[in-house]
Order: sequence, then structure tokens, then C-alpha cells
Amino acid sequence: MVSLSSYLILSATLFAIGTLGFIIRRNALVVFMCVELMLNSVNIAFVAFARAHGNLDGEISVFFVMVVAAAEAAIGLAIVIALFRNIQSVETSDAVELKW
Amino acid sequence: MAIAFYILALLIIVSALGVISMKNPIHSAMCLIVTFLGVAGIFATLEAHFLATVQIIIYAGAIMVLVMFVIMLLNLKYEANTTLDYLFWIIGAVGCIAFVAITSQLFLNSMLVPLDYQAGSVGTVANIGRVLFTKYVFAFEAAGILIMAAIVGSIVVAKSVKGREE
Amino acid sequence: MEILILLLKAFIVMQVVLGLASFCTWVERKGSALIQDRIGANRAGAYWQPESVLLKPIAVFVRIFGMLGVINTLLNDAIKGLFKEDFVPEGTSNFMHCLGPFMAVLPVFLAFSVIPLAPDFALFGYQIRPQVAELHTGVLFVLAMGSIAVYGVVLAGWFGNNKFSLLGALRAAAQMISYELALGVAVATLVISYGTLDLYAIIESQKGFNWGINPLVNPTGLVTFVILFVVGMAETKRAPFDLPESESELVAGYFTEYSGMKWLLFWLGEFAEIALFSAILVVFFFGGWQMPFLELPENVWWAALLGHAIFMGKILFFCVLQIVIRWTLPRFRYDQLMNLGWKILLPLSFVNLVVTAAIELI
Repeated sequence: MVSLSSYLILSATLFAIGTLGFIIRRNALVVFMCVELMLNSVNIAFVAFARAHGNLDGEISVFFVMVVAAAEAAIGLAIVIALFRNIQSVETSDAVELKW
Repeated sequence: MAIAFYILALLIIVSALGVISMKNPIHSAMCLIVTFLGVAGIFATLEAHFLATVQIIIYAGAIMVLVMFVIMLLNLKYEANTTLDYLFWIIGAVGCIAFVAITSQLFLNSMLVPLDYQAGSVGTVANIGRVLFTKYVFAFEAAGILIMAAIVGSIVVAKSVKGREE
Repeated sequence: MEILILLLKAFIVMQVVLGLASFCTWVERKGSALIQDRIGANRAGAYWQPESVLLKPIAVFVRIFGMLGVINTLLNDAIKGLFKEDFVPEGTSNFMHCLGPFMAVLPVFLAFSVIPLAPDFALFGYQIRPQVAELHTGVLFVLAMGSIAVYGVVLAGWFGNNKFSLLGALRAAAQMISYELALGVAVATLVISYGTLDLYAIIESQKGFNWGINPLVNPTGLVTFVILFVVGMAETKRAPFDLPESESELVAGYFTEYSGMKWLLFWLGEFAEIALFSAILVVFFFGGWQMPFLELPENVWWAALLGHAIFMGKILFFCVLQIVIRWTLPRFRYDQLMNLGWKILLPLSFVNLVVTAAIELI
């Protein structure tokens, strides 16, 4: 029988991996993918707690997190495309100048 | 049941490590798809059927297709490594292990509610629909408006300058 | 024992899918020939005259099959595909190049695991349901597999490593995700009418004359059927929506760089998708294995076999219908295709959803 703490340790590991990638990688799309990893880790924690307390509120929260993640994906990728159009690169270390 | 969880957890962690470490962004995206399918499996072990399927439809089926579209349209290749990167990876890995160790001590030493099956709390579509449309109907409508704003916003941002002047 | 039954069910379903796909391949070759007023393949095995007495009765059947083109399509094409040179373009590794066909075929076979192929029956004391995965959310799972099918196209085009493949792949992917919206809304309409997501329960509720397309039972059923039919033909990239393959325009579209067994896998996936989509239509609208005047006894193994035969017959009818439509209609232009998906089908399916919900309330 898998206990609640196993799910939470998995969630913490996934979150830590996501944060590591978010801080170190410079490609804007890979950074975005690490954000999605962090959101997924939080989703796992939500559903595990929802199941433990016998409540469906956690699963509804996951539903809304997914909705927000989808909206953020659409807008974030549009911003990346607009950025690429201006500086011809998606590396975050190249986007260092404000408009002069 | 426990076997399924451990296999899926191993799959998720290995592919998440693949996401953050692959040089080619397309390989990262494919590892992320595997991660999402693993997370859908974890939802299924927690008997959240609706969320498991919706995870595949939304994350693996729509968001990652969008990411792959962008990678292919921008024709992105490899990312250059500077010598300082290896130091960051080592420091980061130590930090991650420390974080997981500290938080797992929190979980393991506290009296957490054990996972047990309570009828009526299983995440079937009927149950989630019942809660979603009675208790959270306002948030549901707000989510609809949010998605509409995202659609309009992304079209406006991604349109080329010539297109916007029309 | 449960695991053994599960493995057996999975094996049988796989054989059923492969059989349906092979039948569709043969119908495509011979049927297209008949539609185009030519004869088609009829040479392989049609002239076999063995001397030994033992083989003579078998030779009669082999000659008949050969003249119908079966041996040519099923045996010769497979052997030809197996022995062709396995070409991997430069700049791609073999593993990545194989991912295209893999992701094109995987969702189709997975989606067949939730379709019940026959009624329940009891054998040697075990109650068997001929459905590999008895999910509550069967309908949602089929939608999810439809979403994953886009990856086969996208990965195939990118790892082909040339511009024409990529262009064909992105066009195909855009087409598929545009029509997925109308698919989702049409399926939501059906779920409103049936009240359940379980495919077995949906078939069970269509007893007698209560088929899904009956206007007395399901007033908006005909409109939903038309929407689902058009969307399904667009999702499986069949003509008139076959711009991704575009045999006369983009070389061969997204599978330009695939030859031999990988190319055959793409075609297998496409025909299996036709069979899957026909099975979905039959499950939702035409009663599955139920026939109006046939009252089969429950839980008997021969009733299950008869039900299975009826189900396969209906699926084959829709497969043949789709193949005939493919060889009859010309291709859509890309902007006409997008127009149809976004501006005509999507509003129509929304209106259909609202009307169905209103009727259900009354």
C-alpha cells in the first residue's frame, strides 16, 4: 500500500528538478517546459491530498491549474515567437537590452 | 498497485532529468511528453480517472504539440555550453537533494492522513462534474473568460507587425 | 488467471485490428480499381497449377484469391516492404526516425482497447467482457488517443530532415488539431444524449430500435452523425481532406523520407484509424452489436460470437463507405479545409450541443 508521503516525495523531487532546470537552462522553450514540470508536481500533490482527505476540492484545483497552464502556454509561446522575431534568438542570455 | 506507482515514479523522474539535461530542445520536449504520460498514470493510481484522461488530452495532446510547433517553426538547434555551466549543475544538484531530503523529513515524521478509499470521493467524471458545477461554478466561468483572453492575447502578440497594422 | 484472460483479450483485439486494416488495404486496391474503371491487381497466385494431388484443392482457393488481388495486396506488399532498404536520412538517428511510425500507430491500437467487440459472455465459470480496458471514461480515452495521433505526423515530418516533409507535417498537424475541437464538442453532445462515458453501457442502451441515429430517440442524432463523419475523415487525413498526403503536390508529404517497413506502418496506422473511426460511429450511432429484430440471449458464448460478427459487418460497411468516398471526391484546398473546420463545423457543433442540451432538459 503506497502511503501519502510517497506521492509527496515524488512531488517534491519533480518540483526540485523543475526548479533546477528553470534556473540553469537558457533556452526559453526549455525554461517553459521546466515551468510545466513544476506545475505537474503540484498537481500530483493536490490529487494525493484530495484522495487522502476524501474531498474532491483538490481535483478541482488541478483542473483549474491545467486550464491556467494551457492559457499560459498559448501566451508564453506567442511571446517567445515575438521575441525571436526581434532578436533572432530564444536564449535568455541574449535578451538583455531594453529598447533604446 | 504499489508496483505501478514505483515504476511510474521512476519513469517520471528519469524523463524529468532528461527534460532538463538534453541539449536538443526537441528531445527535451519528447522527454516531457513521457513525463506527462507518467503523471497521468499517477493520477490513475489515485483513482482520479477524469484528471488522468484530461491530463493526456490537454498537456500531452495540446500544449506539447504547441511547443513542438514553435520549436520547429523557429528551427531551434543545440544550445551552447559555457564552462561555468558545469559548476551550476553541481551546485544545483546538491541544492535539489537537500530540498528533497528536508521536505521528506517533514512528511515522514508527521502524522499524515493515510490514503484510503472513501466512497463518493473517487474522481469519476460524474463526481467531479457535480462539485464543479455547484460549488465552483463561478471559478469555472472565470476560467472560460481567462481562456478567451488567452486566445485573443496570443493572436495579438504573435501576429507580425505588418499584420497588426492592418 | 485474470492476467491470462487480459493477455488473451489483448492478443485477440490486436488480431482483429490487423485483420480489419488488411481488409481495408485490399478493398482500397481493388475497390479503387473498380471505381476508376480498371482491373487492379490480379496476377499474383492466379496461375498456380500444382502437379501433386494433395495441393489441387488448395490451389483452387489460392487461384480465386489471387484473381481477386488478395495475395498481391496482403502477401506481396508485405514482403516487398520487409525487404526494402531501411533508409535513414543524414542528420537523424535511427531511433528518432522510427518514432514517427511508432507514434502514428500506437494511439490507434490503444484506442481499440476500450471498444467492446461483443456482448458479455460466461465461459468455464469466468465472466468475460470482450473489452481490453473496462474504463468508466472510455469516450474521453478515445479523445485522448485522437490528440496523441498528431505526434506521429509531427515527429515524422521533423525527423525527415527536409523542408517538404516539415511543411507537410505542420499542415497536417494544423488540420488535425483544428478538427479535434469539433470532434470534442460533437462527442460532448453524444455524452449529453447518452448520459454515460462507458462505451459498453452506450451500446447496451441501444436495444431494439433505439439506435443512436433514430430521430425519435435522439433528435439531433443525424446532425451529430454528419459532423462526426466529416470530422473523422479529416482526423484520419482521408480524402477529401488528404492534403497532408497530397500525392500530386508535396512529393508524399510528411512521410517522404520513409520507405519499406516504416512506410507500411504508416499505411497500416491509417487503415487501422479508418477501422477505429468506423467502430466509433457504429458504437455511437448504429447500435454496436444490436440489431432491431434480434433478441439475443444474455451471457451465452454463441450470442457473443454472433454479436461480434454483426459488429464487424457494420464496421466493414463504414470502412468501405469511407474508401468509396475517398476515390470519388476531389481534394480540398488548404484554406477551404480550415474554413470548413473553424467557420462551419465548429459553430454548427456548438449549436448542436446547445439544442441537444435544451431538448434533454425538456
